[in-house]
Amino acid sequence: MAAASLPSALQSLANYRAHNTRVSQEVVEKGKLLLKAKSASKLGDDAWAFLEQLALAAIDVAKYEVADECLRLLAAKFPDSPRVDVLSGIRMEATQPPEIALKFYDELLEKDSSNAAICKRRISVLIRTGKVEQAVLELSEYLDTFYSDVEGWVELAELYSSCHQYTFATQALSHALLLAPQNPFYVLQFAETAYTADDIPLAVKMFMLCLDIVDKHTSEESIPTGVSIRAWYGVKLCCRALSGRSCSSASDTPLPKNLNLLDELATERILTAYSAAGKDNATIRELVLTWMGPSDRSGGRVHFVR
Amino acid sequence: MSSSAVSLYLDPQIRDWVLFPITLVMILVGILRHYVVLLLQSPPKKLAREAIREQRALARSQILRATSASSPIPPSYYRSISNRLVAAFEAGTYLKDGPPQGDAPSTPANPMTDPAAMDGMMAGMKTQMVMMVPQMVIMGWINFFFQGFVLIKLPFPLTLGFKSMLQRGIETPDMDVRWVSSLSWYFLNFFGLNGLYRLILGNDNSAADTSQTMMASPFAAGANQPGQPQDYVKLFKAEKDNLAFAEGLYCWMGDDVETRLLRKYGRL
Repeated sequence: MAAASLPSALQSLANYRAHNTRVSQEVVEKGKLLLKAKSASKLGDDAWAFLEQLALAAIDVAKYEVADECLRLLAAKFPDSPRVDVLSGIRMEATQPPEIALKFYDELLEKDSSNAAICKRRISVLIRTGKVEQAVLELSEYLDTFYSDVEGWVELAELYSSCHQYTFATQALSHALLLAPQNPFYVLQFAETAYTADDIPLAVKMFMLCLDIVDKHTSEESIPTGVSIRAWYGVKLCCRALSGRSCSSASDTPLPKNLNLLDELATERILTAYSAAGKDNATIRELVLTWMGPSDRSGGRVHFVR
Repeated sequence: MSSSAVSLYLDPQIRDWVLFPITLVMILVGILRHYVVLLLQSPPKKLAREAIREQRALARSQILRATSASSPIPPSYYRSISNRLVAAFEAGTYLKDGPPQGDAPSTPANPMTDPAAMDGMMAGMKTQMVMMVPQMVIMGWINFFFQGFVLIKLPFPLTLGFKSMLQRGIETPDMDVRWVSSLSWYFLNFFGLNGLYRLILGNDNSAADTSQTMMASPFAAGANQPGQPQDYVKLFKAEKDNLAFAEGLYCWMGDDVETRLLRKYGRL
């Protein structure tokens, strides 16, 4: 029974690895089977990737004895590997106080200052322990060297946002945009951060830019979903804010032309999103309509960024 | 003129003792070479963090420049990033050894004196030797024992232009181009076995890329390796100008996005 399920277990584990899926519970269950069957030796070179995956998953679900077993095997095979170092660092973070993990990472960095993975682990420990200031400092330094780390820039933006430094957050996001100009989520995040920073003209431009990317392949009649509906809401909010008062823009962004048309379009698009038949949709549509209300009613400002 | 009228009859012994052995030897030597190269490879050198920073500084400005014609970021952000990079290049912030002092001439280090650079070059030369020596030996072997042998007849007709390619080592003006000589068979194998190696040894094997590496000299190969001395002072100076050009091309995607959007939904 167990022997028959081994190949399929291996298959699905490799699949998880390839897609970077985080299903730790299943990985541990399947991995324990394999570990018990001692099939690691039969796997060849794949065994090591599997052990790493299992160790991470086991730490994730607090099965530390499994993780330790994997770590022992890995450390025996690769005594000086920085990758194993990172793994044992994560294991340390799981049970030891953060100071010890930080010290461990410091020692590793002293040996090899160019180890990006360890830098990132260190920063994550700092964030976890609430030392945001130092985390921001180290993250900026890290990004100065490893510029092309998009996730790093987004993380930096989130850190800034968490301290209400929205201008800095947009600056960090602008680097992420440069690195991944095709990703609408970053554009949306930029727009929402700019909105929260009260740079409404910039925000409305970025919301529209996001829509421009998302809607590239959709037709005019299609119903907005996901990112695009959020962006349409953003446009609507911006239009409302812009019509109420004259807005200043910290980034000197000019106001969009045809603001009224834009407002109408946004209203229509949002309502289209809830146009499908269905009981839920009808109530939501009702709610949205009241929220839209007469255009002069400026509702409470909604903050996107928490 | 028809080939059936004046056909050669090849001794089957030639097939068994010349054609197959040459092919087999070449395949085996290729596989052996793959493993020898693996054995000779030294682990990649670790770069200090400052060196990485210096290397990647150029990539930063290239990323900025690549999107400048339809940039995703608004003008003020673009300009601040661009200006910061220009200032950093000017001041030499990204240089590994700090900003250049005074007017000391900044010459690239001589690769012969730098032990690290020497290592890289030696590694390149070693690989080259592993590539070249077996090929020379095989060629000598074929030339010595099988010179002038006709090994095989191609199953399709060819034009006369292929004569020099397929009948190297046989000086006959009249023979049909379809006959392949031993030396030509060697060359056909030499360039044609890459696919087979890829099948046997996997995609990134060191047996397959012989034809490319044979052309490059060991010195040229060394220059392309990371960690070789490059004059970053000069590179940064050039990059500064490039950034200035890119700023001229700069155009924000958001400039007329509302027009595009409204037009798409038929409002304009």
